[in-house]
Amino acid sequence: MGGDALKKLLDMRQDPYAAARAYKERTGCKVMGFFCCLAPEEMIHAAGALPVRITGENRAVSKSGAHLQSYCCSLARTSLDMALDGELSFMDGTVFTHTCDTMMRLSDIWRLNAGFAVHGDVVLPVRFEGDLAREYAGKELSAFRHKMEEFLGPITDDALNSSIKLYNRNRRLLAELYALRRDDPSILPGDQALWLVTSSALMEKSEHNALLEEVLADLKSSSAPGNGKVRLFGIGSVMDQWDFLEMVEDIGATMVDDDFCNGRRYFDTEAPEGGDPIESIVARLWDRQACPCKHHEQRGRAACLADRVAEARAAGAVFWQFKFCEPHAFDYPYVKKALDAAGVPSIQLEIEQGSVSIEQLRTRVEALVETIRGS
Amino acid sequence: MSPDDGDLFGTSIKATEQMKQLMVEYYIEAKTTKDKPICWITSGGPVEFLIAMDVIPVYPENHGAMCGASKIAPGLAEVSEEMGFSRDVCSYARLDIGAAVTEGGAIPGGLPRPDFLLCCNNICGTVVKWYEELARFFNVPMFLMDTPFIHTTKPEHATEYVRQQCLELIKFLEQQTKKEFTLEKFAEVALLSVQAVELWKGVLKTAESRPSPFTCFDAFIHMAPIVTLRGTSTVVDYYMLLKKEMEERVEQGIGAVAEEKYRLIWDNIPIWYAMRSLGNLFASNHACLVADTYTTAWAIDIKIDDPLTSMADAYTKVYLNIAIDIMLDQLIDLMERYQADGLVMHSNRSCKPYSLGQYDLARAVTERTGKPALIIEADMTDSRVYSEAQVRERVEAFIESLEGS
Repeated sequence: MGGDALKKLLDMRQDPYAAARAYKERTGCKVMGFFCCLAPEEMIHAAGALPVRITGENRAVSKSGAHLQSYCCSLARTSLDMALDGELSFMDGTVFTHTCDTMMRLSDIWRLNAGFAVHGDVVLPVRFEGDLAREYAGKELSAFRHKMEEFLGPITDDALNSSIKLYNRNRRLLAELYALRRDDPSILPGDQALWLVTSSALMEKSEHNALLEEVLADLKSSSAPGNGKVRLFGIGSVMDQWDFLEMVEDIGATMVDDDFCNGRRYFDTEAPEGGDPIESIVARLWDRQACPCKHHEQRGRAACLADRVAEARAAGAVFWQFKFCEPHAFDYPYVKKALDAAGVPSIQLEIEQGSVSIEQLRTRVEALVETIRGS
Repeated sequence: MSPDDGDLFGTSIKATEQMKQLMVEYYIEAKTTKDKPICWITSGGPVEFLIAMDVIPVYPENHGAMCGASKIAPGLAEVSEEMGFSRDVCSYARLDIGAAVTEGGAIPGGLPRPDFLLCCNNICGTVVKWYEELARFFNVPMFLMDTPFIHTTKPEHATEYVRQQCLELIKFLEQQTKKEFTLEKFAEVALLSVQAVELWKGVLKTAESRPSPFTCFDAFIHMAPIVTLRGTSTVVDYYMLLKKEMEERVEQGIGAVAEEKYRLIWDNIPIWYAMRSLGNLFASNHACLVADTYTTAWAIDIKIDDPLTSMADAYTKVYLNIAIDIMLDQLIDLMERYQADGLVMHSNRSCKPYSLGQYDLARAVTERTGKPALIIEADMTDSRVYSEAQVRERVEAFIESLEGS
């Protein structure tokens, strides 16, 4: 299933930044690291640079301990540790988007210590509704565009519009992948499907599109047997524990859909094409699935998630919670209540990158799967 | 801020009685009002709009401080923990949600129920999540005043965004109160707010004297009116009284700490449950905490000729809404103005915007001033994570190091 293109993408898991480093070497382009899926990647791409996502990794931190307290989430602590250890030195700069208090302060600490040539802050509004916030978001994105132009060179409307198109193509392909798995998750294990999304933020988009097209063609032509696995829905920010997802598959379950920001939330909703590019980027921000770091008065996140769980025909949900992540921790009781009301059993797994015990988590997931099978 | 926690040591501040009276009257009115709406508001929120519309502001954070000081916070926090809120989220939020659910806390029968909520995220993003939960629990509308964080410079469009939101807030309040907003009344309130802020700054300034007439532990208690009720004339009267008393102390050479030897700056929200023990610990070592970054945060600067723009500007520039290198300049300024010998930082696991960055700040302060910094790991109200013995040991070692320098 999936063929050479799939193998090529899956191999990237061993060294997630290898593709970006190689691309830089080949093209001489600048590389800009970014943290959050709300970052205007298209702008960086339109300037001819390569945007690459940083989401921390499994490691015991050493150097970042001098800057961040232990009650700071592992995503921030391990990302800073990677930077201070020089592992991100192939990046020319980094971009922060305003999300939570931790990333807000990490931006300061990063700017003062990580030593990159350029540092961008996109202070997106916290209100993700209403004309005032929308207008402000457009102005903030324009200001960011000017700042990037100083460093990366001109970003024309034409270039921006074609990057938006290219990114939309990627979103459409990933949505297609998720749709195929919704019909029959046995065509591809959940860990591999999520990696296909994750890898999108780690390599140049047209290259990713080409590989995805191949993967999709292969998946469509192969006939999957169907495997009767228990369908689960994942909720959280970043999910990067591939061995966890493999374990889920091993015990007869699979994540058919999710709300991860390196999953569904990375690719959901296309940006409108053909108009003013800044307007288009803002429009997509406005129409996307709710992020717990943003305030959506009209769109209750819990109700949206309960609907999406139902659409995915998931029998249970896994809250994948980074320890010390306030936005997700605050939403948990209310989202869980909505799932309870919909009769969807769930478990909450609290983890820190670098100290995940798959065996402990296995027991919890097994219990959930048994509950579902028994009902 | 608890009624029990005045007069920690040394010569007691006479105005404390008036402050207690003022706060008691405020809470009685909030609890018993029949005609005035109640709005729960964050500590950094633009309360002037509420005062101008005859809305009674209620501050869960002030209540959180009271619960912390009276040591009932962990029990309330446990209620929300049982509801599924992680022990790692802000303890003010946890205890407040617990108090709301049980109608408990430091005020008999709980805080008065809100008619609507005003959340301003200039102090943290936490308040947005916390107030979202309150809006769901009480089923009341919430207004979010979104103040973009300042990493390097504040762009014009950020000020304009906040100014426009002030206009939107006025409309929101008119809808909620069914009353008309008048600029005359607002200007009156803004003027009183400016007067109170000036007086409060004046109070804090008296601590520049040697010996200092009060410590930051006193300031933490006496800040309650400036946080909650600025814009009213009672607050102006109160700070005139307090300022006069502090000036008299300065004239008479009365110090808050016997034989003041060391002058220190405090950073972060107080450790409410440990105020008394910490106060005594520093005082018994002749160390006076002369100023802090917390009580100075309420020195909101409003310009009367253009209150909306200046408020938008001032509320966006507050201490917790700026990058750590901008904070550093203000911290150095405090160290210099108050001739401090060192810095004491409370690394507060409940407050990430205040605490993350402290390690860098501590090093930078020492580098630039040559003065040492001490970091205490604690939580503002959750005493379950506090080790008194460990803190005592560290404080004593720190003061010993000051002796050597």
